[in-house]
Amino acid sequence: MLLLDIKNLTIELETPEGLIRAVDRVSLSLREGETRGLVGESGSGKSLIAKAIVGVLNRRWRITADRFSWMGQDMLQVSTEQRRKIIGRDIAMIYQEPSRSLDPTAEVGEQLEEAIPNHLLEGHWWQKPFLRKKKAIALLHKVGIRDHQNIMQSYPYQLSEGICQKVMIAMAIAKNPKLLIADEPTTALESTTQAQLFRLLASFNQLKGMAVLLISHELESVARYTQNLSVLYCGQLVESGDTTAMLKHPFHPYTHALIKSVPEFQPELPPKTPLYALPGSIPTLQHLPIGCRLGPRCPNARKECVKTPILDRLQNHYYSCHFPLLSRDDT
Amino acid sequence: MSALLEVTELSKSYFKQRGLTRKKIIALQNISFTLHTAKTLAIVGETGSGKSTLAKLLVGIEKPDSGEIRLSGQPVEISNYKKYNHVIRFIFQDAGRSLNPLQKVGQMLEDVLRFSTILDIEQRRIKIRKTLKQLGLLDEHAEYYPHMFSGGQLQRVALARALILDPKLLILDEALTALDPSLRAQIVNLLLELQHKEGLAYLLITNNLQLVRHISDEMLVLYQGGMADSGLTTDVFANPTHDYTKKLINSAF
Repeated sequence: MLLLDIKNLTIELETPEGLIRAVDRVSLSLREGETRGLVGESGSGKSLIAKAIVGVLNRRWRITADRFSWMGQDMLQVSTEQRRKIIGRDIAMIYQEPSRSLDPTAEVGEQLEEAIPNHLLEGHWWQKPFLRKKKAIALLHKVGIRDHQNIMQSYPYQLSEGICQKVMIAMAIAKNPKLLIADEPTTALESTTQAQLFRLLASFNQLKGMAVLLISHELESVARYTQNLSVLYCGQLVESGDTTAMLKHPFHPYTHALIKSVPEFQPELPPKTPLYALPGSIPTLQHLPIGCRLGPRCPNARKECVKTPILDRLQNHYYSCHFPLLSRDDT
Repeated sequence: MSALLEVTELSKSYFKQRGLTRKKIIALQNISFTLHTAKTLAIVGETGSGKSTLAKLLVGIEKPDSGEIRLSGQPVEISNYKKYNHVIRFIFQDAGRSLNPLQKVGQMLEDVLRFSTILDIEQRRIKIRKTLKQLGLLDEHAEYYPHMFSGGQLQRVALARALILDPKLLILDEALTALDPSLRAQIVNLLLELQHKEGLAYLLITNNLQLVRHISDEMLVLYQGGMADSGLTTDVFANPTHDYTKKLINSAF
Protein backbone atom coordinates (compact mmCIF):
# COMPACT_ATOMS: atom_id res chain seq x y z
CA MET A 1 0.00 0.00 0.00
CA LEU A 2 1.22 3.49 -0.76
CA LEU A 3 2.24 5.24 2.39
CA LEU A 4 3.00 8.63 1.01
CA ASP A 5 1.88 9.80 -2.38
CA ILE A 6 2.84 13.26 -3.57
CA LYS A 7 2.23 14.55 -7.04
CA ASN A 8 3.51 17.85 -8.41
CA LEU A 9 4.54 19.36 -5.14
CA THR A 10 5.50 22.99 -5.64
CA ILE A 11 7.04 25.13 -2.95
CA GLU A 12 7.29 28.86 -3.56
CA LEU A 13 8.68 31.75 -1.58
CA GLU A 14 7.25 35.23 -1.78
CA THR A 15 9.93 37.89 -2.06
CA PRO A 16 9.87 41.56 -2.99
CA GLU A 17 11.15 40.55 -6.44
CA GLY A 18 8.30 38.14 -6.99
CA LEU A 19 7.66 34.48 -6.44
CA ILE A 20 10.65 32.18 -6.31
CA ARG A 21 9.90 28.60 -7.09
CA ALA A 22 12.27 26.62 -4.93
CA VAL A 23 10.73 23.24 -5.62
CA ASP A 24 9.13 22.73 -9.00
CA ARG A 25 6.54 19.99 -9.44
CA VAL A 26 8.23 17.13 -7.66
CA SER A 27 6.48 13.79 -7.39
CA LEU A 28 7.41 11.35 -4.71
CA SER A 29 5.84 8.16 -3.47
CA LEU A 30 6.76 5.73 -0.75
CA ARG A 31 5.47 2.24 -0.12
CA GLU A 32 5.34 0.64 3.29
CA GLY A 33 8.73 -0.64 4.33
CA GLU A 34 10.53 1.02 1.45
CA THR A 35 13.85 2.80 1.71
CA ARG A 36 14.18 5.69 -0.66
CA GLY A 37 17.10 7.99 -1.11
CA LEU A 38 16.68 11.63 -2.05
CA VAL A 39 19.88 12.97 -3.55
CA GLY A 40 20.72 16.47 -4.67
CA GLU A 41 23.29 19.17 -4.18
CA SER A 42 22.96 21.81 -1.52
CA GLY A 43 20.21 24.23 -2.44
CA SER A 44 18.31 21.72 -4.54
CA GLY A 45 15.36 21.72 -2.16
CA LYS A 46 15.81 18.35 -0.48
CA SER A 47 15.32 19.67 3.00
CA LEU A 48 12.39 21.82 1.86
CA ILE A 49 10.56 18.76 0.62
CA ALA A 50 11.20 16.95 3.89
CA LYS A 51 9.98 19.92 5.87
CA ALA A 52 6.92 20.25 3.67
CA ILE A 53 6.03 16.62 4.32
CA VAL A 54 6.32 17.08 8.06
CA GLY A 55 4.64 20.48 7.82
CA VAL A 56 7.17 22.57 9.68
CA LEU A 57 7.77 25.22 7.04
CA ASN A 58 6.74 28.66 8.17
CA ARG A 59 4.02 30.72 6.58
CA ARG A 60 6.16 32.56 4.05
CA TRP A 61 6.45 29.42 1.99
CA ARG A 62 3.53 28.61 -0.25
CA ILE A 63 3.00 24.90 -0.68
CA THR A 64 0.76 23.54 -3.42
CA ALA A 65 0.34 20.04 -4.74
CA ASP A 66 -1.96 18.17 -7.08
CA ARG A 67 -2.07 15.26 -4.73
CA PHE A 68 -0.70 14.89 -1.24
CA SER A 69 -2.00 11.88 0.55
CA TRP A 70 -0.84 9.93 3.54
CA MET A 71 -2.10 6.35 3.75
CA GLY A 72 -4.94 7.14 1.42
CA GLN A 73 -6.03 10.21 3.33
CA ASP A 74 -5.84 13.50 1.50
CA MET A 75 -3.69 15.76 3.62
CA LEU A 76 -4.65 18.90 1.72
CA GLN A 77 -8.28 18.55 2.76
CA VAL A 78 -7.97 17.88 6.49
CA SER A 79 -7.68 20.70 8.98
CA THR A 80 -4.30 21.79 10.30
CA GLU A 81 -5.09 20.33 13.71
CA GLN A 82 -5.97 16.96 12.26
CA ARG A 83 -2.95 17.02 10.03
CA ARG A 84 -0.59 17.69 12.88
CA LYS A 85 -2.13 14.84 14.80
CA ILE A 86 -1.66 12.38 11.96
CA ILE A 87 1.89 13.48 11.21
CA GLY A 88 2.80 13.52 14.87
CA ARG A 89 1.61 9.96 15.15
CA ASP A 90 3.15 8.47 12.03
CA ILE A 91 6.13 10.44 10.80
CA ALA A 92 9.40 11.09 12.60
CA MET A 93 12.30 13.16 11.40
CA ILE A 94 15.98 13.35 12.18
CA TYR A 95 17.56 16.72 11.56
CA GLN A 96 20.91 17.68 10.13
CA GLU A 97 22.90 18.77 13.12
CA PRO A 98 21.93 16.71 16.14
CA SER A 99 23.78 18.74 18.73
CA ARG A 100 21.94 21.84 17.55
CA SER A 101 18.50 20.30 17.38
CA LEU A 102 18.60 18.92 20.91
CA ASP A 103 17.66 21.21 23.76
CA PRO A 104 20.92 22.44 25.29
CA THR A 105 19.33 23.24 28.64
CA ALA A 106 17.86 19.84 29.43
CA GLU A 107 19.42 16.49 30.15
CA VAL A 108 19.29 13.96 27.37
CA GLY A 109 17.30 11.47 29.45
CA GLU A 110 14.63 14.04 30.17
CA GLN A 111 14.28 14.92 26.49
CA LEU A 112 14.10 11.28 25.51
CA GLU A 113 11.43 10.52 28.10
CA GLU A 114 9.43 13.46 26.85
CA ALA A 115 9.41 12.02 23.34
CA ILE A 116 7.70 8.79 24.42
CA PRO A 117 3.95 9.11 23.84
CA ASN A 118 1.61 8.23 26.69
CA HIS A 119 -0.40 5.61 24.88
CA LEU A 120 2.61 3.35 24.47
CA LEU A 121 3.00 2.97 28.22
CA GLU A 122 0.75 0.29 29.63
CA GLY A 123 0.07 0.54 33.30
CA HIS A 124 -1.61 2.64 35.93
CA TRP A 125 -0.83 6.29 36.21
CA TRP A 126 1.42 5.80 39.22
CA GLN A 127 3.53 3.34 37.30
CA LYS A 128 4.01 5.65 34.33
CA PRO A 129 7.18 7.52 35.40
CA PHE A 130 8.91 4.25 36.10
CA LEU A 131 7.75 2.69 32.83
CA ARG A 132 8.78 5.77 30.94
CA LYS A 133 12.30 5.58 32.26
CA LYS A 134 12.50 1.89 31.52
CA LYS A 135 11.34 2.49 27.97
CA ALA A 136 13.88 5.30 27.49
CA ILE A 137 16.69 2.99 28.59
CA ALA A 138 15.44 0.28 26.26
CA LEU A 139 15.44 2.78 23.40
CA LEU A 140 19.02 3.77 24.09
CA HIS A 141 20.03 0.12 24.09
CA LYS A 142 18.23 -0.32 20.80
CA VAL A 143 20.29 2.36 19.08
CA GLY A 144 23.47 0.84 20.41
CA ILE A 145 24.23 2.94 23.47
CA ARG A 146 25.18 0.65 26.34
CA ASP A 147 26.22 3.20 28.89
CA HIS A 148 22.70 4.55 29.47
CA GLN A 149 23.33 5.73 33.03
CA ASN A 150 25.90 8.31 31.98
CA ILE A 151 24.25 9.36 28.74
CA MET A 152 20.84 9.98 30.31
CA GLN A 153 22.35 12.37 32.82
CA SER A 154 24.48 14.40 30.44
CA TYR A 155 23.67 17.51 28.48
CA PRO A 156 23.95 17.48 24.68
CA TYR A 157 27.18 19.50 24.66
CA GLN A 158 28.89 16.83 26.73
CA LEU A 159 28.27 14.14 24.14
CA SER A 160 29.95 13.54 20.82
CA GLU A 161 28.14 14.23 17.58
CA GLY A 162 27.67 10.51 16.88
CA ILE A 163 26.06 9.83 20.26
CA CYS A 164 23.82 12.88 19.84
CA GLN A 165 22.66 11.54 16.49
CA LYS A 166 21.92 8.17 18.07
CA VAL A 167 19.88 9.90 20.76
CA MET A 168 17.96 11.72 18.03
CA ILE A 169 17.21 8.40 16.37
CA ALA A 170 16.09 6.96 19.69
CA MET A 171 13.72 9.90 20.07
CA ALA A 172 12.45 9.43 16.54
CA ILE A 173 11.68 5.74 16.92
CA ALA A 174 10.13 6.19 20.36
CA LYS A 175 6.66 6.42 18.85
CA ASN A 176 7.05 3.56 16.36
CA PRO A 177 6.63 5.78 13.30
CA LYS A 178 5.60 4.41 9.91
CA LEU A 179 7.99 6.74 8.12
CA LEU A 180 11.34 8.04 9.25
CA ILE A 181 12.78 11.00 7.41
CA ALA A 182 16.53 11.32 7.89
CA ASP A 183 17.76 14.68 6.66
CA GLU A 184 21.52 14.40 6.09
CA PRO A 185 21.99 12.28 9.20
CA THR A 186 25.69 11.71 8.67
CA THR A 187 27.20 15.02 7.57
CA ALA A 188 28.73 15.72 10.96
CA LEU A 189 30.01 12.21 11.56
CA GLU A 190 33.14 10.22 10.82
CA SER A 191 33.18 7.43 8.31
CA THR A 192 33.15 4.56 10.81
CA THR A 193 30.24 6.04 12.78
CA GLN A 194 28.47 6.79 9.52
CA ALA A 195 28.48 3.14 8.55
CA GLN A 196 27.18 2.22 12.00
CA LEU A 197 24.32 4.67 11.68
CA PHE A 198 23.25 3.50 8.25
CA ARG A 199 23.28 -0.09 9.47
CA LEU A 200 21.10 0.98 12.37
CA LEU A 201 18.57 2.62 10.05
CA ALA A 202 18.63 -0.42 7.78
CA SER A 203 17.96 -2.76 10.69
CA PHE A 204 14.95 -0.75 11.84
CA ASN A 205 13.68 -0.81 8.32
CA GLN A 206 13.93 -4.58 8.16
CA LEU A 207 12.80 -5.44 11.68
CA LYS A 208 9.89 -3.06 12.02
CA GLY A 209 8.97 -2.43 8.43
CA MET A 210 9.55 1.25 8.93
CA ALA A 211 9.85 3.20 5.70
CA VAL A 212 12.93 5.41 5.50
CA LEU A 213 13.41 8.51 3.39
CA LEU A 214 17.13 9.14 3.38
CA ILE A 215 18.18 12.60 2.30
CA SER A 216 21.80 13.23 1.48
CA HIS A 217 24.18 14.83 -0.95
CA GLU A 218 26.51 11.87 -0.95
CA LEU A 219 25.42 9.51 -3.64
CA GLU A 220 27.78 6.73 -2.62
CA SER A 221 26.43 6.23 0.89
CA VAL A 222 22.79 6.59 -0.14
CA ALA A 223 23.20 4.13 -2.96
CA ARG A 224 24.48 1.46 -0.65
CA TYR A 225 21.55 1.51 1.74
CA THR A 226 18.47 2.25 -0.33
CA GLN A 227 16.24 0.38 -2.75
CA ASN A 228 14.96 3.37 -4.67
CA LEU A 229 16.46 6.68 -5.50
CA SER A 230 15.20 10.11 -6.48
CA VAL A 231 17.61 12.68 -7.82
CA LEU A 232 16.88 16.38 -7.52
CA TYR A 233 18.54 19.24 -9.29
CA CYS A 234 17.65 22.82 -8.38
CA GLY A 235 14.21 21.87 -7.16
CA GLN A 236 13.30 19.75 -10.15
CA LEU A 237 12.97 16.01 -10.01
CA VAL A 238 15.51 14.74 -12.48
CA GLU A 239 15.24 11.02 -12.27
CA SER A 240 13.76 8.40 -9.98
CA GLY A 241 13.71 4.66 -9.95
CA ASP A 242 15.39 1.54 -8.69
CA THR A 243 18.82 2.34 -7.23
CA THR A 244 20.89 -0.41 -8.83
CA ALA A 245 19.26 -0.01 -12.21
CA MET A 246 19.78 3.71 -12.11
CA LEU A 247 23.44 3.47 -11.13
CA LYS A 248 24.02 1.00 -13.90
CA HIS A 249 22.25 2.97 -16.55
CA PRO A 250 21.20 6.53 -15.79
CA PHE A 251 18.92 8.23 -18.29
CA HIS A 252 19.44 11.82 -17.31
CA PRO A 253 22.69 13.68 -18.04
CA TYR A 254 22.77 15.05 -14.51
CA THR A 255 22.55 11.63 -12.86
CA HIS A 256 25.16 10.46 -15.32
CA ALA A 257 27.49 13.29 -14.30
CA LEU A 258 26.80 12.66 -10.63
CA ILE A 259 27.75 9.03 -10.90
CA LYS A 260 30.80 9.79 -13.00
CA SER A 261 32.08 12.37 -10.54
CA VAL A 262 32.36 9.91 -7.66
CA PRO A 263 35.57 7.86 -7.81
CA GLU A 264 33.87 4.96 -6.04
CA PHE A 265 31.68 4.18 -9.04
CA GLN A 266 34.66 4.28 -11.38
CA PRO A 267 36.84 1.43 -10.18
CA GLU A 268 38.81 1.22 -13.39
CA LEU A 269 39.63 4.93 -13.40
CA PRO A 270 43.38 5.26 -12.81
CA PRO A 271 44.42 7.46 -9.85
CA LYS A 272 45.36 11.08 -10.48
CA THR A 273 43.30 11.43 -13.62
CA PRO A 274 40.76 14.24 -13.82
CA LEU A 275 37.25 13.39 -12.75
CA TYR A 276 34.23 14.04 -14.90
CA ALA A 277 32.59 17.30 -13.89
CA LEU A 278 29.86 19.46 -15.35
CA PRO A 279 31.03 22.98 -16.13
CA GLY A 280 29.70 25.91 -14.13
CA SER A 281 27.93 25.81 -10.82
CA ILE A 282 24.41 25.55 -9.45
CA PRO A 283 22.39 28.71 -10.21
CA THR A 284 21.06 30.67 -7.27
CA LEU A 285 17.33 30.72 -6.67
CA GLN A 286 17.08 34.32 -7.86
CA HIS A 287 18.57 33.52 -11.24
CA LEU A 288 17.03 30.25 -12.26
CA PRO A 289 17.13 29.40 -15.96
CA ILE A 290 13.77 28.77 -17.57
CA GLY A 291 12.78 25.33 -18.74
CA CYS A 292 15.06 22.51 -17.72
CA ARG A 293 17.19 24.02 -14.99
CA LEU A 294 20.20 21.97 -15.94
CA GLY A 295 20.08 23.58 -19.40
CA PRO A 296 23.11 25.93 -19.26
CA ARG A 297 25.36 23.22 -17.83
CA CYS A 298 24.06 20.25 -19.75
CA PRO A 299 26.42 18.74 -22.34
CA ASN A 300 23.55 17.71 -24.65
CA ALA A 301 21.32 20.76 -24.27
CA ARG A 302 19.45 21.80 -27.39
CA LYS A 303 16.85 24.36 -28.39
CA GLU A 304 13.97 22.35 -26.94
CA CYS A 305 15.45 22.49 -23.44
CA VAL A 306 13.95 25.93 -22.73
CA LYS A 307 10.67 24.09 -22.18
CA THR A 308 10.40 22.18 -18.95
CA PRO A 309 10.42 18.49 -19.84
CA ILE A 310 7.59 16.41 -18.43
CA LEU A 311 8.26 13.36 -16.32
CA ASP A 312 8.53 10.38 -18.64
CA ARG A 313 8.68 6.75 -17.68
CA LEU A 314 10.24 3.57 -18.88
CA GLN A 315 9.26 0.59 -16.71
CA ASN A 316 9.21 2.11 -13.26
CA HIS A 317 12.10 4.37 -14.10
CA TYR A 318 11.06 8.01 -14.29
CA TYR A 319 13.15 10.71 -15.88
CA SER A 320 12.56 14.23 -17.06
CA CYS A 321 14.71 15.04 -20.04
CA HIS A 322 14.04 15.78 -23.70
CA PHE A 323 17.09 13.86 -24.77
CA PRO A 324 17.60 10.98 -22.34
CA LEU A 325 20.64 8.78 -22.60
CA LEU A 326 18.65 5.85 -23.89
CA SER A 327 21.18 4.23 -26.15
CA ARG A 328 22.08 0.87 -24.71
CA ASP A 329 25.80 1.10 -25.21
CA ASP A 330 27.29 2.21 -21.93
CA THR A 331 29.09 5.51 -22.20
CA MET B 1 66.69 14.93 -4.89
CA SER B 2 66.11 16.09 -1.36
CA ALA B 3 62.59 15.96 -0.08
CA LEU B 4 60.48 19.10 0.14
CA LEU B 5 59.31 18.36 3.62
CA GLU B 6 60.92 15.94 5.99
CA VAL B 7 59.49 15.28 9.40
CA THR B 8 61.32 13.11 11.88
CA GLU B 9 60.17 11.86 15.28
CA LEU B 10 57.69 14.64 15.83
CA SER B 11 55.92 14.55 19.19
CA LYS B 12 53.50 16.81 20.94
CA SER B 13 51.67 16.50 24.21
CA TYR B 14 49.28 18.72 26.10
CA PHE B 15 48.76 19.10 29.80
CA LYS B 16 45.35 19.15 31.34
CA GLN B 17 44.91 20.63 34.78
CA ARG B 18 43.14 18.27 37.15
CA GLY B 19 42.97 19.86 40.56
CA LEU B 20 46.54 19.97 41.80
CA THR B 21 47.89 17.37 39.42
CA ARG B 22 48.43 17.75 35.73
CA LYS B 23 47.44 15.05 33.35
CA LYS B 24 49.56 14.51 30.29
CA ILE B 25 47.74 13.92 27.03
CA ILE B 26 49.86 12.68 24.19
CA ALA B 27 48.55 14.14 20.95
CA LEU B 28 51.30 12.95 18.64
CA GLN B 29 54.10 10.48 19.13
CA ASN B 30 57.12 9.90 16.91
CA ILE B 31 55.65 10.86 13.59
CA SER B 32 58.03 10.70 10.65
CA PHE B 33 57.35 11.13 6.97
CA THR B 34 58.75 12.74 3.87
CA LEU B 35 56.94 14.58 1.14
CA HIS B 36 58.44 15.28 -2.28
CA THR B 37 57.60 18.05 -4.72
CA ALA B 38 54.46 17.46 -6.81
CA LYS B 39 53.32 14.60 -4.60
CA THR B 40 50.31 14.22 -2.37
CA LEU B 41 50.36 12.77 1.10
CA ALA B 42 47.05 11.87 2.68
CA ILE B 43 46.63 11.75 6.43
CA VAL B 44 43.75 9.62 7.61
CA GLY B 45 42.49 8.99 11.11
CA GLU B 46 39.53 9.36 13.42
CA THR B 47 38.83 12.47 15.48
CA GLY B 48 41.28 12.80 18.31
CA SER B 49 43.95 10.86 16.46
CA GLY B 50 46.13 13.94 16.10
CA LYS B 51 45.46 14.89 12.49
CA SER B 52 44.72 18.50 13.22
CA THR B 53 47.57 18.75 15.72
CA LEU B 54 49.95 17.60 13.02
CA ALA B 55 48.61 20.24 10.64
CA LYS B 56 48.97 22.89 13.33
CA LEU B 57 52.58 21.87 13.96
CA LEU B 58 53.38 22.07 10.28
CA VAL B 59 52.07 25.58 9.85
CA GLY B 60 53.57 26.75 13.08
CA ILE B 61 50.46 27.45 15.11
CA GLU B 62 51.82 25.09 17.76
CA LYS B 63 55.40 24.23 18.66
CA PRO B 64 56.48 20.61 18.74
CA ASP B 65 57.90 19.14 21.96
CA SER B 66 60.55 17.19 20.15
CA GLY B 67 61.43 16.20 16.63
CA GLU B 68 62.60 18.00 13.58
CA ILE B 69 60.95 19.53 10.55
CA ARG B 70 63.15 20.01 7.50
CA LEU B 71 62.18 22.10 4.51
CA SER B 72 64.18 21.21 1.39
CA GLY B 73 66.94 19.79 3.54
CA GLN B 74 67.17 22.70 5.97
CA PRO B 75 66.01 22.30 9.56
CA VAL B 76 63.53 25.07 10.27
CA GLU B 77 61.91 26.73 13.22
CA ILE B 78 58.49 26.57 11.66
CA SER B 79 56.80 28.83 14.18
CA ASN B 80 58.82 31.68 12.72
CA TYR B 81 55.67 32.34 10.82
CA LYS B 82 56.75 35.37 8.78
CA LYS B 83 59.56 33.47 7.20
CA TYR B 84 57.80 30.27 6.24
CA ASN B 85 54.23 31.22 5.42
CA HIS B 86 55.33 31.63 1.80
CA VAL B 87 56.16 27.98 1.58
CA ILE B 88 53.37 26.29 3.47
CA ARG B 89 49.80 27.48 3.14
CA PHE B 90 46.70 26.22 4.85
CA ILE B 91 43.14 25.77 3.58
CA PHE B 92 40.35 25.42 6.07
CA GLN B 93 37.36 23.16 6.08
CA ASP B 94 34.65 25.72 5.48
CA ALA B 95 35.65 28.30 2.90
CA GLY B 96 32.59 30.42 3.62
CA ARG B 97 33.36 30.76 7.28
CA SER B 98 37.09 31.25 6.99
CA LEU B 99 36.75 34.40 4.87
CA ASN B 100 36.03 37.80 6.34
CA PRO B 101 32.48 38.73 5.32
CA LEU B 102 33.17 42.46 5.53
CA GLN B 103 36.14 42.45 3.21
CA LYS B 104 36.16 42.39 -0.56
CA VAL B 105 38.05 39.52 -2.09
CA GLY B 106 40.54 41.82 -3.79
CA GLN B 107 41.21 43.63 -0.53
CA MET B 108 41.76 40.34 1.23
CA LEU B 109 44.27 39.16 -1.36
CA GLU B 110 45.97 42.55 -1.26
CA ASP B 111 46.38 42.26 2.51
CA VAL B 112 48.09 38.93 2.13
CA LEU B 113 50.58 40.46 -0.31
CA ARG B 114 51.07 43.62 1.73
CA PHE B 115 51.98 41.74 4.88
CA SER B 116 54.11 39.04 3.35
CA THR B 117 55.82 40.46 0.26
CA ILE B 118 57.71 43.55 -0.83
CA LEU B 119 55.70 44.15 -4.01
CA ASP B 120 54.46 47.69 -4.70
CA ILE B 121 50.86 48.60 -5.52
CA GLU B 122 51.08 48.00 -9.25
CA GLN B 123 52.85 44.67 -8.88
CA ARG B 124 50.31 43.61 -6.29
CA ARG B 125 47.46 44.39 -8.65
CA ILE B 126 49.04 42.37 -11.42
CA LYS B 127 49.68 39.49 -9.08
CA ILE B 128 46.07 39.46 -7.84
CA ARG B 129 44.76 39.49 -11.39
CA LYS B 130 47.08 36.66 -12.36
CA THR B 131 46.08 34.51 -9.42
CA LEU B 132 42.37 35.03 -9.97
CA LYS B 133 42.78 34.08 -13.60
CA GLN B 134 44.77 31.02 -12.70
CA LEU B 135 41.87 29.77 -10.60
CA GLY B 136 39.25 30.47 -13.21
CA LEU B 137 37.83 33.60 -11.59
CA LEU B 138 37.23 36.92 -13.32
CA ASP B 139 38.89 40.27 -12.64
CA GLU B 140 35.68 41.81 -11.35
CA HIS B 141 35.44 39.10 -8.71
CA ALA B 142 38.04 41.12 -6.81
CA GLU B 143 35.27 43.64 -6.07
CA TYR B 144 32.92 41.00 -4.66
CA TYR B 145 32.18 40.22 -1.05
CA PRO B 146 32.36 36.57 0.04
CA HIS B 147 28.58 36.19 0.32
CA MET B 148 28.18 36.92 -3.39
CA PHE B 149 29.98 33.74 -4.35
CA SER B 150 28.61 30.23 -4.58
CA GLY B 151 30.18 27.40 -2.62
CA GLY B 152 32.53 26.27 -5.33
CA GLN B 153 33.71 29.77 -6.10
CA LEU B 154 34.35 30.39 -2.41
CA GLN B 155 36.57 27.36 -2.32
CA ARG B 156 38.40 28.85 -5.29
CA VAL B 157 38.80 32.15 -3.46
CA ALA B 158 40.22 30.30 -0.48
CA LEU B 159 42.62 28.58 -2.86
CA ALA B 160 43.55 31.93 -4.36
CA ARG B 161 44.41 33.26 -0.92
CA ALA B 162 46.66 30.28 -0.39
CA LEU B 163 48.27 30.25 -3.82
CA ILE B 164 48.96 33.97 -4.17
CA LEU B 165 52.27 33.59 -2.32
CA ASP B 166 53.40 30.79 -4.64
CA PRO B 167 53.70 28.14 -1.96
CA LYS B 168 55.40 24.80 -2.35
CA LEU B 169 53.07 22.92 -0.03
CA LEU B 170 49.38 23.23 0.55
CA ILE B 171 47.70 21.75 3.59
CA LEU B 172 44.05 20.90 2.98
CA ASP B 173 42.31 20.28 6.29
CA GLU B 174 39.08 18.48 5.32
CA ALA B 175 38.70 21.09 2.61
CA LEU B 176 37.00 18.71 0.21
CA THR B 177 34.72 16.85 2.57
CA ALA B 178 31.77 19.18 2.83
CA LEU B 179 31.47 19.91 -0.87
CA ASP B 180 28.79 18.57 -3.17
CA PRO B 181 29.97 15.74 -5.42
CA SER B 182 30.02 17.62 -8.71
CA LEU B 183 31.69 20.59 -7.07
CA ARG B 184 34.21 18.33 -5.42
CA ALA B 185 35.05 16.84 -8.78
CA GLN B 186 35.69 20.33 -10.12
CA ILE B 187 37.99 21.26 -7.24
CA VAL B 188 39.82 17.95 -7.41
CA ASN B 189 40.43 18.51 -11.10
CA LEU B 190 41.70 22.00 -10.36
CA LEU B 191 44.07 20.71 -7.67
CA LEU B 192 45.39 17.97 -9.90
CA GLU B 193 45.94 20.44 -12.71
CA LEU B 194 47.82 22.83 -10.42
CA GLN B 195 49.96 20.00 -9.16
CA HIS B 196 50.77 18.97 -12.68
CA LYS B 197 51.61 22.50 -13.85
CA GLU B 198 53.18 24.16 -10.82
CA GLY B 199 54.58 21.16 -9.00
CA LEU B 200 52.63 21.83 -5.83
CA ALA B 201 52.71 19.29 -3.04
CA TYR B 202 49.58 18.61 -1.03
CA LEU B 203 49.04 17.37 2.46
CA LEU B 204 45.49 16.13 2.46
CA ILE B 205 43.78 15.60 5.77
CA THR B 206 40.56 13.74 5.20
CA ASN B 207 38.22 10.95 6.11
CA ASN B 208 37.14 10.11 2.62
CA LEU B 209 39.12 7.06 1.57
CA GLN B 210 37.78 7.08 -1.98
CA LEU B 211 39.28 10.46 -2.50
CA VAL B 212 42.53 9.41 -0.87
CA ARG B 213 42.82 6.52 -3.23
CA HIS B 214 42.18 8.74 -6.19
CA ILE B 215 44.45 11.70 -5.58
CA SER B 216 47.17 10.76 -3.12
CA ASP B 217 50.51 9.11 -3.79
CA GLU B 218 51.29 8.23 -0.23
CA MET B 219 49.23 7.91 2.88
CA LEU B 220 49.69 7.95 6.60
CA VAL B 221 47.16 6.48 9.00
CA LEU B 222 47.13 7.95 12.48
CA TYR B 223 45.67 6.11 15.42
CA GLN B 224 45.65 7.65 18.89
CA GLY B 225 48.60 9.87 18.14
CA GLY B 226 50.81 7.18 16.67
CA MET B 227 51.48 6.01 13.16
CA ALA B 228 49.37 2.98 12.36
CA ASP B 229 50.28 2.55 8.73
CA SER B 230 52.22 4.48 6.18
CA GLY B 231 53.52 4.02 2.70
CA LEU B 232 52.38 4.22 -0.88
CA THR B 233 48.60 4.47 -1.14
CA THR B 234 48.28 1.37 -3.27
CA ASP B 235 50.42 -0.66 -0.85
CA VAL B 236 48.44 0.42 2.19
CA PHE B 237 45.16 -0.37 0.49
CA ALA B 238 46.44 -3.74 -0.70
CA ASN B 239 47.80 -4.98 2.60
CA PRO B 240 47.02 -2.91 5.67
CA THR B 241 48.95 -4.02 8.75
CA HIS B 242 47.28 -2.23 11.65
CA ASP B 243 43.85 -3.35 12.89
CA TYR B 244 42.45 0.16 12.69
CA THR B 245 43.48 0.52 9.05
CA LYS B 246 41.83 -2.77 8.21
CA LYS B 247 38.63 -1.64 9.88
CA LEU B 248 38.74 1.67 8.07
CA ILE B 249 39.27 0.11 4.66
CA ASN B 250 36.58 -2.47 5.30
CA SER B 251 34.06 0.16 6.26
CA ALA B 252 34.69 2.08 3.06
CA PHE B 253 34.40 -0.76 0.59
